[in-house]
Amino acid sequence: MSISTPAEGWFKAPSGGERAWIGLALLWCVVLTLAMPYWHYKGKQNSTGESYRVEPAAFQARVDRFVKTNGVGEEKGVAIVEPSPGGDAYLLAQMWRFSPILKLRKGQSYRLHMSSLDLQHGFSVQPVNLNFQILPGYDHVITITPTMSGVFNVICNEFCGIGHHTMTGKIIVED
Amino acid sequence: MTESKEEKVVDIVHSEAVDDPADHHAPGTFVLVLVLLGTFAVYYFANWKALADVWHVR
Amino acid sequence: MANTATLGAAPEAEDSPATPEKPKGNHRAGELRSCDTTGLPICLVAQQFIRLNAVMAVVFLLVGGISALLLALTRWPAVHLLSAAWYYRILTLHGLNMLIFWILFMEVAILYFASTTLLNSRLAWKSMAYVSFGMMLVGAVMVDYFVLAGKADVLMTSYAPMQGHPGFYLGIILVAVGTLIAVGNFFATLYIAKRDKTYVGSMPLVTFGALAAAIIAVVTLAHGAAVMIPTFLWSLGLVGAPDPAWYRLIWWGLGHMSQQVNVCAMVSVWYFLATLTVGAKPINQAVCRGAFILYILFINLASAHHLLVDPGVGAGWKIWNTSYAMYLAVLASMIHGFTVPASVEVAMRKKGHNSGLFSWLAAAPWKNPGFSAFFLSLVIFGFGGGITGVTLGTEQINIIAHNTLRIPGHFHMTVVGGTSLAFMGLAYYVVPLLFQREYYARGLVRAQPYVFAAGISIMAIGMSLAGSYGVPRRHWDVEFAGAQFSAGFDPSAHVMLGIMGIGGTIAFVGLLMFILLTVAAVFFGKSNAGKAMTAW
Repeated sequence: MSISTPAEGWFKAPSGGERAWIGLALLWCVVLTLAMPYWHYKGKQNSTGESYRVEPAAFQARVDRFVKTNGVGEEKGVAIVEPSPGGDAYLLAQMWRFSPILKLRKGQSYRLHMSSLDLQHGFSVQPVNLNFQILPGYDHVITITPTMSGVFNVICNEFCGIGHHTMTGKIIVED
Repeated sequence: MTESKEEKVVDIVHSEAVDDPADHHAPGTFVLVLVLLGTFAVYYFANWKALADVWHVR
Repeated sequence: MANTATLGAAPEAEDSPATPEKPKGNHRAGELRSCDTTGLPICLVAQQFIRLNAVMAVVFLLVGGISALLLALTRWPAVHLLSAAWYYRILTLHGLNMLIFWILFMEVAILYFASTTLLNSRLAWKSMAYVSFGMMLVGAVMVDYFVLAGKADVLMTSYAPMQGHPGFYLGIILVAVGTLIAVGNFFATLYIAKRDKTYVGSMPLVTFGALAAAIIAVVTLAHGAAVMIPTFLWSLGLVGAPDPAWYRLIWWGLGHMSQQVNVCAMVSVWYFLATLTVGAKPINQAVCRGAFILYILFINLASAHHLLVDPGVGAGWKIWNTSYAMYLAVLASMIHGFTVPASVEVAMRKKGHNSGLFSWLAAAPWKNPGFSAFFLSLVIFGFGGGITGVTLGTEQINIIAHNTLRIPGHFHMTVVGGTSLAFMGLAYYVVPLLFQREYYARGLVRAQPYVFAAGISIMAIGMSLAGSYGVPRRHWDVEFAGAQFSAGFDPSAHVMLGIMGIGGTIAFVGLLMFILLTVAAVFFGKSNAGKAMTAW
């Protein structure tokens, strides 16, 4: 009984089906464990967490410089910026907007720097469904390679106050 | 209510059967956990497949 | 009544030859009664606090449940009931009342029961039980007040640098410290039971599982203090803002590890209900106990699951903390996933349901709400919550799942379909045995676990599928009305959100059935004092 003190000699090795199941389950856990390092080296989607400390004002200044050197236009008051393939791109999150609009090329890689001026935010590209965290004080760098062209939404998926659900941005990917 | 058909808690809690190792086989449960493992594997690998379809990132 | 147990006698040790001297309890005069149904010794002081904690648990369950319905009806796009401000406010309320208050008050009740009745001991500190209960209650009411007053629209996680009213943080600290005192009372009771030799040999499995839960709770609550005290001081303006990455790491040491407390408590309740309903006995207790030890040892860094796409921690840290720590805890759950139903199977086969592979399952007492709640909880936790949890918590897969509705889809199958449903099954024995009251409308009681399990499963599946289209959690408007750049989701996602809303409504009906039937039994039920409970 589970509710009474066990009889003497309860401490014994598992046997039969129970033993077989523990073996199978352990084997499965090994598969689960090896899958991640495997994907880290062979897979194309990884979360390396590359990041640097940055003051919000300093990050803002880098974003401004980025817009100045690479800006190609404007939509609804938000700059459209085309970073050079292989180069750095910047995305600034604040309550409740993402800026600038990024214009990328399919199949090219970009070092995308993301940070926040105020609260924590979420970087969620839809309908690709690619999600990363943005924290104030941290320059989060992901090396991103769009594999399809089109216009994509960036939405915030970390609660950031009453206007959270209106926080959107845009990424344009051209062939 | 047909109480006679139901087992009383007291009888259940105090029904101590002799511990017979031959009674320790649970083949039905073994099948159930194999179904669990199969479902687990299908769901798990389907998610890796879904991941492989998104933009490359590292 | 066919009951040979004498007052103060220990639960009979199984299989052992009758010992000449049974160990005596350590109860004070007038503080002991023998259960009229099982003959188990019940410490009246512990019983009083089990009742108090269970009643408060159900009160907070009601608050959380009403919130749940409002949220489901808001995220169902066709209904979209609440305003944005109230949606986030009620979401804060829902998380705290369900995940913290309902669960913690129930767990304190379970700790008091497992350390007294099952060990034939008295509760160590009556005064401390009052202090603990008072602190938890005051803290929980404070939190609810500041949330409903609109002074802490920060959601359950209150991610810094988002800031709530100091009273909100103080309330959480009070609940945590109050719980810690209750856990201390549990340890003290284990100590006096051992010292006074109220039982011989090893403690029962259910008590061992409760001990595992208590040990993890101490580590969990230490993380809670480490993060909430500086945050409280910051909200008062006394210290600077906590680093957001540090906050997330330590907060999830509280937030995720506490889920392992729930898992331990739930598994203990599974073993307990399996024993009460079919007389199940684990095949090998060393295996069951070993699995509990795996929980204690390997769950500490489960907070990593929430940081898998974060800056501040690298891939090595993420992968190591996912695989090393997590998969041995997963192993533990997979072991319980075998030992629990196997104990039922063995017991049922002994009763003669021995033909074929599954006649034991078909013949199980499915009309007994204690059994159906326990077994449905086992199935939903294993097939729903467990599989999704491990998958979503895989470092790279988290990229397509982080902060989407897939996450609440997962944990509504662990902590609601799993833990809460198991606790409801427990109530169907706690009320007749410890409140000594009988349930009315027993047909409805029998149906309740099915209604709730169906509702919560449909809801969680709807959530998971909507999340797989990228729909975020904690988000008021999937149409993004008023956003600078329009956004939206595949129409199928709206269908999934509708399924979520329908499932949530059914689950609420099941929840309300539980609360109304239980309140009716506790306050107006027919007393069964002096005789055995009516069998389910």
